[in-house]
Order: sequence, then C-alpha cells, then structure tokens
Amino acid sequence: MKKYLFLLLLTVIIVGGCEKDDFCIDEITPNLILRFYDFDNQTTSLTVSDLTIWPEGRDTIVNGQALDSIALPLDVNSAQTVYNLSTGSIVDQLVIDYTTNEIFVSRSCGFKAEFTDVLATPTTNWILSIDQTTTTIEDESAAHIQIFH
Amino acid sequence: MNQQRIFRFFISLFLMLFLVDGNAQEEDQEIEQDSTLYKTNYGLRLGADISKPVRGLLQDFYSGFELVGDYRISKKWYVATELGVEEQTSNEDFTNSTSKGQYIRLGMNYNTYDNWLDMNNEIYMGFRYGFALFEQTLNSYSINTGDTTFDTVVIDNPVTVDGLTAHWTEFVIGLKAEVYDNVFIGISGSYKIMISVDDPANFKTHFAPGFNRVYASNTGFGFNYTISYLIPFKKK
Repeated sequence: MKKYLFLLLLTVIIVGGCEKDDFCIDEITPNLILRFYDFDNQTTSLTVSDLTIWPEGRDTIVNGQALDSIALPLDVNSAQTVYNLSTGSIVDQLVIDYTTNEIFVSRSCGFKAEFTDVLATPTTNWILSIDQTTTTIEDESAAHIQIFH
Repeated sequence: MNQQRIFRFFISLFLMLFLVDGNAQEEDQEIEQDSTLYKTNYGLRLGADISKPVRGLLQDFYSGFELVGDYRISKKWYVATELGVEEQTSNEDFTNSTSKGQYIRLGMNYNTYDNWLDMNNEIYMGFRYGFALFEQTLNSYSINTGDTTFDTVVIDNPVTVDGLTAHWTEFVIGLKAEVYDNVFIGISGSYKIMISVDDPANFKTHFAPGFNRVYASNTGFGFNYTISYLIPFKKK
C-alpha cells in the first residue's frame, strides 16, 4: 500500500513537471497612440469623422470610423513608418522616424521593441498641427502624439 | 500557478514524512520479534541513466548522457552523485535557443524501505546540490508585436554566450530494485529549486544542463531511469 502511495507521489511530481508557463501576459511592443484635438481650443478632444488610416503600401487599419484616438503599430524592422490618414477625401501623411531597441521580456513573450528618438512629421491638409509629447515609446499609458485639426 | 506548485510540493513532502514515520514504527517491532541478522552488500554502485540516450534518439532537439554513482555509508544512508552532459534546443513562439554543457549533482539518499531477509532494494528520498557549466546560443528570434500589419521578420543571427553557471538544490524520490546479483534498475523523480543562474545579457536561460527547463518560478523537474552495478566491498 505504501509502495502505491509512493508511486502516486512520484507520478504527481512527474506530471506536475509537464505544466507549461506558456502564456504571454506581459506587455509587448507598444503601439503609437494618436489623440485628436480641436485646433481652436487645444485642450478639447475632437472626434475625427469618417477617418480612414492605412500604412503606406499596406491594408487599411481603420475604415471610415469616427474616432478621437487610435493606437497604430510601428514597423519594428524599419526605421520609418508612413501612415496615411484621411477624413472624407482629404489625405494627410504622417511620417514617423525612430530607432528600434529590442528588449527581452520572457520565455512566452519573447522580445519586444521599444522606440527611441521618435520624430513625427505630418503633411498639413486637414491636420493643422501636431504636438509630440514624447520622443520615446515604451508603453501605451498615454498618447504619444496630439493631432490638432 | 507557481503558488499551486509550491503547495503541491509541500503536501507531497508531508505525505512522505508520514511514510517514514510509519516505517520507523514497524522497524522497532520487527527487531523485537526476530533476532536473526541478515547481511547485505556495501560498496560502490555505478551506472548510467538510460532514458537520456533514448530521448536523444527519439527527440532531435535533445541529446544527453549521465553517469550515476552512490556509496553506501550506513544501513539507511547513501552518498549519491550524478555527472552528465546535455544539450537541448528550446523552440518557443518567438525565440529558438540551444543550451549545451555539463553538470554534477551531489547529495545523499535515505532508504525508507525495510528489506525482507537479505534483499537489498530501496525506496528512497534524497537531496542534491547541483552545479552546471554551460553555454547558450540564441539561434533565431522575432520581435513580438502582437500585430500582423507589418511582416514578421525572423532574425537569424546566432549569438552564443559561454561560461554560464547554475546552482540549485533538489529533492529526490526514487526506487531501486536488485534484479540480478548486484545489478540494479532504478527510477527517480526530482523537484529542483534554482539558487542562482546566469542569464545571457538581454535574454534568459531557458534550459540548464542537469536542471532541465527553467520555469518562470526558477524551479524545475527531473526524471531518471538507471541501470547500475554494485561493486561489493564488504557485507554487513
């Protein structure tokens, strides 16, 4: 009987060893967060109607929605990402230059990227001006770029 | 999840302590009833873990070999050691890395089994100190963006960091049975707790030789299936 109990314990320990800690729950590569404000009253958030966003040469991310903020991914394998933002038929381009830093997170999450020396340059058709609140993108806790329109 | 594993470990440990206690009582009774003395062999027992070469044949991401030895110092106590080399490739979602190196484990086993007559079998508990010297190569990786807007590029530029060390402790439970004269087969499992391990800069040690997979809680599990031969020095 004792022997069986012993074998049972052995089995529990061995089977316990097969558990996986394979769920990525840590923060990974942050997105670029844009927030839209009223140009005339720069502390007031202002929704952009009929907003369409697509990275240059790629599929549309946002299609004709009304939004006051948006999180956009940056291309970690390039030093520059170009986004087209249109409202109605007016198109503006936002060029973002940056340096990508690779940071190890965990076994299940792998590496994430953080961005430094971020520089955003817009064209000004419907966008009237921008205010870049930070030059580093390390998390998604606050907007990185304010867009006035 | 880690806490759950710690609870499970301590519950197991408690149950094992009951086992020892139960055995100790029976032992006292037997001594009163039976005055005949049976002698068993004392000596150096040497062998190898046969599960590791078999795993190496079946799994192309693993290779390893381990020699085991123990020396009986009293009726119940054995000094035990394991020496080995291991190599394993850890293929994760975003990284692929290979650890390679050698290790030694040193400790004691306590036999909780009361043998009949002159039989020399064991159900034992033990502890070990483990040390590994190894290298880890980050073979390839990709950055986790959690997004498919842009292409995922696998960066295939192996970087090796050598001279890594690991220190750990182990709790072992196992069985050994004498199947022929002085020939033993054994099976054991172990729970390992890392004391310290070197991680490559901006990366992590995913596998340490002798320790196996390093879990997020810095714990690990091991398994042995051994064949060994006892070189008898004396009987007592």
